[in-house]
Amino acid sequence: MLYRFVICILILLLAGFGSTVIAEDEHDHGKEQASEEAHDDHGGHDEVSKNGAEPHDDHGEESAHEDIVELTKAELQEFGIVISKAGSGTLKTEITVPGEVVVNYDRLAHIAPRFPGVVKSVFKHLGDRVKKGDVLAVVESNEGLFPYEIKSLLDGVVIEKHITIGEVRTEQDAAFVIADLDTVWVNLSIYQMHLPYVQIGQEVTISSGQEFSDVTRPITYLSPIVDEHTRTATARVVLANHDRDWRPGLFVEGKIVAKEEHASIVVPKSAIQKFEGNDVVFISTPEGFKPTVVKIGRKDLSSAEIVSGLTTGQKYVSKGGFTLKSELEKGSMSSGHSH
Amino acid sequence: MIDKIIQFSLSNRLLLLVFGVMIMAGGYYSYKQLPVDAFPDVSPNLVQVFTITEGLAPEEIEQYITYPVEASMNGLPGISKIRSVSNFGLSVVNVYFKDDVDIYFARRLVDERLQEAREQIPEGFGEPAMGPISTGMGLILFYYLEDETGQYSLEELRSIQDWLVKFHLQTVPGVTEVLGIGGYEKQFQIKVHPEGLLRYNVSLSELIDIIHANNLNVGGQFIERDAEELIVRSVGLAYTIDDLRNIVVKSEDGTPIFLSQIADIEIGGAIRRGVQTHNGIGEVVSGMVVKLFGANSSTVIEAVEEKMEEINKLLPEGIKLIPYYEQKTLVAACVTTVSKALLQGMILVIIVLMIFLGGYRPSLVAAMSIPFSVLFAFIGMKQFDISANLMSFGGLAIAIGMLVDGAIVMVENTERLLQRSDPAESRVHVVARACKEVGRPIAFAIFIIIVVFLPLFTLSGVEGKTFKPLAFTVALAMLGSLLFALFIVPVLATLLMRRPKKTKTVSDGSEKGLVKWLLIPYQPILRFLIARRYLAVILAVSVMLVGVVIYPRLGSEFTPTLQEGTLVLRLTMAPSIALTESTRMTLIVERRLMKIEDIRGVVTRIGRGEVGAHTDPVNSAEIYILLKPREEWTSATTQEELQSHIRDEVGNIPGVLTNFTQPIQMTVDELLEGVRAELAIKVFGDNLDSLKAKADEIAQIVSEVPGAADVQPDQVSGTPQLLMQIDRQAIARYGINVADVQEVIKAAVGGEKAGQIFEGVKRFDILVRYAESHRDTPEAIGQILVQSPDGAWIPLHELATIKEIVGPRQITRENNQRFISIQCNVTGRDITSFVKDAQKAIDENVDLPVGYLTTWGGQFRLQQEANKRLAVVIPITLLIVFLLLFSSFNSLKNSLLILLNLPLTLVGGVVALWLTGQNLSVPASVGFIALFGIALENGMVLVTYLNQLVRDGLPTDEASVKGASLRLRAVIMTALTTGLGLTPLILSHGVGSEVQKPLATVVVGGLITSTMLTLLVLPAIYKWFTDAPAKAVVTTNKEKA
Repeated sequence: MLYRFVICILILLLAGFGSTVIAEDEHDHGKEQASEEAHDDHGGHDEVSKNGAEPHDDHGEESAHEDIVELTKAELQEFGIVISKAGSGTLKTEITVPGEVVVNYDRLAHIAPRFPGVVKSVFKHLGDRVKKGDVLAVVESNEGLFPYEIKSLLDGVVIEKHITIGEVRTEQDAAFVIADLDTVWVNLSIYQMHLPYVQIGQEVTISSGQEFSDVTRPITYLSPIVDEHTRTATARVVLANHDRDWRPGLFVEGKIVAKEEHASIVVPKSAIQKFEGNDVVFISTPEGFKPTVVKIGRKDLSSAEIVSGLTTGQKYVSKGGFTLKSELEKGSMSSGHSH
Repeated sequence: MIDKIIQFSLSNRLLLLVFGVMIMAGGYYSYKQLPVDAFPDVSPNLVQVFTITEGLAPEEIEQYITYPVEASMNGLPGISKIRSVSNFGLSVVNVYFKDDVDIYFARRLVDERLQEAREQIPEGFGEPAMGPISTGMGLILFYYLEDETGQYSLEELRSIQDWLVKFHLQTVPGVTEVLGIGGYEKQFQIKVHPEGLLRYNVSLSELIDIIHANNLNVGGQFIERDAEELIVRSVGLAYTIDDLRNIVVKSEDGTPIFLSQIADIEIGGAIRRGVQTHNGIGEVVSGMVVKLFGANSSTVIEAVEEKMEEINKLLPEGIKLIPYYEQKTLVAACVTTVSKALLQGMILVIIVLMIFLGGYRPSLVAAMSIPFSVLFAFIGMKQFDISANLMSFGGLAIAIGMLVDGAIVMVENTERLLQRSDPAESRVHVVARACKEVGRPIAFAIFIIIVVFLPLFTLSGVEGKTFKPLAFTVALAMLGSLLFALFIVPVLATLLMRRPKKTKTVSDGSEKGLVKWLLIPYQPILRFLIARRYLAVILAVSVMLVGVVIYPRLGSEFTPTLQEGTLVLRLTMAPSIALTESTRMTLIVERRLMKIEDIRGVVTRIGRGEVGAHTDPVNSAEIYILLKPREEWTSATTQEELQSHIRDEVGNIPGVLTNFTQPIQMTVDELLEGVRAELAIKVFGDNLDSLKAKADEIAQIVSEVPGAADVQPDQVSGTPQLLMQIDRQAIARYGINVADVQEVIKAAVGGEKAGQIFEGVKRFDILVRYAESHRDTPEAIGQILVQSPDGAWIPLHELATIKEIVGPRQITRENNQRFISIQCNVTGRDITSFVKDAQKAIDENVDLPVGYLTTWGGQFRLQQEANKRLAVVIPITLLIVFLLLFSSFNSLKNSLLILLNLPLTLVGGVVALWLTGQNLSVPASVGFIALFGIALENGMVLVTYLNQLVRDGLPTDEASVKGASLRLRAVIMTALTTGLGLTPLILSHGVGSEVQKPLATVVVGGLITSTMLTLLVLPAIYKWFTDAPAKAVVTTNKEKA
């Protein structure tokens, strides 16, 4: 019995030993699998680079290689990549500001009765055109009860009338407001941040958003103070208004070219890509497209000045740079799922 | 006990026959009821919580949505892990449960906690909702709407999809959801011109309120008139664009100002994060049918197809639903693959039986074991909820050859005894004697095979889910075959088998045909080896050596990829890419693909549509390649060839990574761990910037550790953001609140919903937003006006600094902490020591801030866990096997002799793998396990007989030769049936065969060495392993029993 028991134990030990051997084996599988996968990965890299792009290794040897993308002419067209020659250009900074058409206050007359009295007759009404010296109304003075005429002091249009027959008028309020609408003002609100770019004499394009065409006029006045509610300064443009299109009260938009500068190298903004933390422009070289780090100077809405990194006459990618950049960054894009 | 069973069977023959028929009928019934799937579903047990918040950046999504949702899920019972991803506009929280938690229970738990989470999420930041009740294999059918007339706009098509097709398809039983993608969701867009606001002095938020206030119906209860009730209702809903146009925004001195004076109102498409394109031509509208968890794929697909026919009739003239991906094809292909293998295996087995047993009667008795056992397995599958799929049916295909073994041994023995028996002895008696003789070893042998499959049940994760069904069906079928052998074979034998006519002399060498010829060389060789036992040992050892030499040359892989038969080309583009640009690039690739002759069409999904199935960002596109029928292919004959052909033709696309994947694999991968590299280091911490910095640092250090390869930290940043930092000084000057500014930003740039327009049951959002030209550049955004309390209009650039920064792409969290993972592979050394070195290097060189920690994960950990488990399970299995052997033989030496079979068996499997150029993999290991069982069985049968002869008084050597010669037929037959049963699997090229091929290869290869060993080495060294002194005891015991 004891003998059998001992042998039993021995067998168990043997079995245990056998299983550890198997477990070890499993372990080795893991190792081989690792190397196998690593191999596969390298294969993958070659695959990608085979058809054009230089194989680029993301594992620590950045200085050793160059980023180049090669594409055929047909591919350029297929992917919508446009090549341009670097050259000079102008950079325009435009500001859009809201504005309002108002009466030209320099050509406005507030006409009030000279003496208080009863209104006897009124000759001109809202919208009537009047000449300087035209009789507008007749008022009978309270003192002495003599009638006197109120005359226009200006050629223009009656835009306000606060007088009716039989009414007792005092001399304090204007009975008529006559405006010369041959010219109107446009008051533009200039925000704090735009103030440095706005000066008297600067051209402003005024558009009403209506059917009639835009006009461009210089700024004639810039308020020396800023409104404390809106924190805006007022810039004024005088518009000719013979057709009476620019009705006071109309809401308009003014475009001011704040800056217009010439620069020796100007590229569209679409040419500039962020790559490895730098601004780059892809230049076309015999070997392919290469990103060059550039320094960007002034900018406007659509273009930017290149201060350094690009020389006149150099061929660069003006559109489709993103595709090239993505190609270079391919190695770091994870091919797996988002998590 | 076994004897009693046999006795019982023989005395109740009719009863047992009826039982047998009933079991087979029950099996057939169960088979009809079995859900049919393509593969076993390996998706983890999880509940997904999606929250869509249009327009929020990952940081905000995480802070406002992901965090509260995650926090509320903590501490749920049965939870195993919480993992979340906060993307632009979308929060996904995956709550993983342990595998044994019922999914509906889990969902109820999550739902309860979601209530809590909802309270924590700020108003207007989206409603968290659970994903569909489905799994990674739930996407059963994709279709797109083909418009032959070309007259429908993308909005119209999408409305048809969302309000007609979807609604009808969702009524199909077993469909849990239909998700639309592509085109535009129709919207009534109010494109506000900021000058208009300024002109009429209306703020954007006032405008939104006004639109809300002018679009509603109310009920006024009822009034009584005479005896009747009249229901009072007021209709004020806007129905058309004109209704919206005529909304009065304001009235100045009695002059109404209409909405149309401030904004353009038109029908447009909602903001979208996904596009569907096809054939390189342009966009299409498409839908995905999601199957309910646990529903029968094939039935649901059939029902969906029928419904689609009906819907096609309902659709406007010229519009048709075109399915472009159907899991049905895959299910059908898988079923074909295995049923073909099953059928061919069965035929081969029957042929073998015919040849060796000679005569159809015994063959019929043995062959009946196959249908019986298979049908028995179906009953079990039904009970254990195992679906009919590639793996479970594969298990049957593997078992097919083994199923007959028990019956063969019994039939063979019966036949032999019938030949030799005294004619006076009744046939029933002879059968009883014959069956009792082998009953016990058969029962033990089959038990051992079942036990040997035990380690498979302990596999976890994907491998577990893949191979457990196989282990289950093998075990069930083997159990069936045991029942058949013990209960039915004796009955059938008495009914069907006849006493042979006495034409031949009944002697020991009385084998028929083939076996006789085999015996001619076999006996002398065996005698030779018995005389020189050391030669047998040398033979065994040299075979072992071959194995030892070849083993290290084998490659290895985890599990071969199942070929789904549908090609998907996945495109990954730069993370910052815009949807428009990714659509443009995708169309270019599609056009390249369309040039390939064998491709019939392509359909691509870019980004994501309705949330529920995919959460891909817009830089990812999946091209479904529709192939012409295989017979018409011109460029390739196999899928791999075609794949490489396509790869060549597509070539390099600048800025686009391409790789092939498959629909189910893709979805399941997304739900699983995520890290597919060998090793992953996860760095947990709070601050995204320092996390990234530390991750980069660790990546640098780890890459210097010897053996490191492909070290790559996750790309977590790279999304450009336009950040508007509100200047508190500035807003103070104007007396504006932060919220006022932000509301304007949200509404003007992102758009704000201002109610809905109803068209019958369809409802469409009204979206208020600045006209495009007033919000499409940073400069324009700077011009957006905010009204101060005293009425002044202030542009945004006065109130906030606007800058462009690069922000995170997404934020991933696990168990409530942010993390970044660093993937890495190891070459040329073992992983454990690598991990140790790397950890040491990290500890020494990286100074992690307080609260930061690193963990190691990846496949490596899964494998380690598996190894740990196996290190326990395998010895236990061996112990059980040993105990079974021991209780069968009552002899340690015999048991040891049989166990010795195992190492030699392995060699054949290893060599076979090497010869066929396959790798060591999980299925190959499963093959080895199956092999153990077969080898043990063979050994047992032989040793039992040898013992018997020795007991009968023959000298050991003589007994060895005689026993081996007599058992030659049985051993070769069981080996051949098993081997040939598997051959169809080796030769198959069908869908799914790649998983079973290594398994079958190992078994067939191993069978060759194991049979050789059983026949030559085992009898030769038998003498060393007989229990000579115990002989008398054993015999007496045996006789007593």
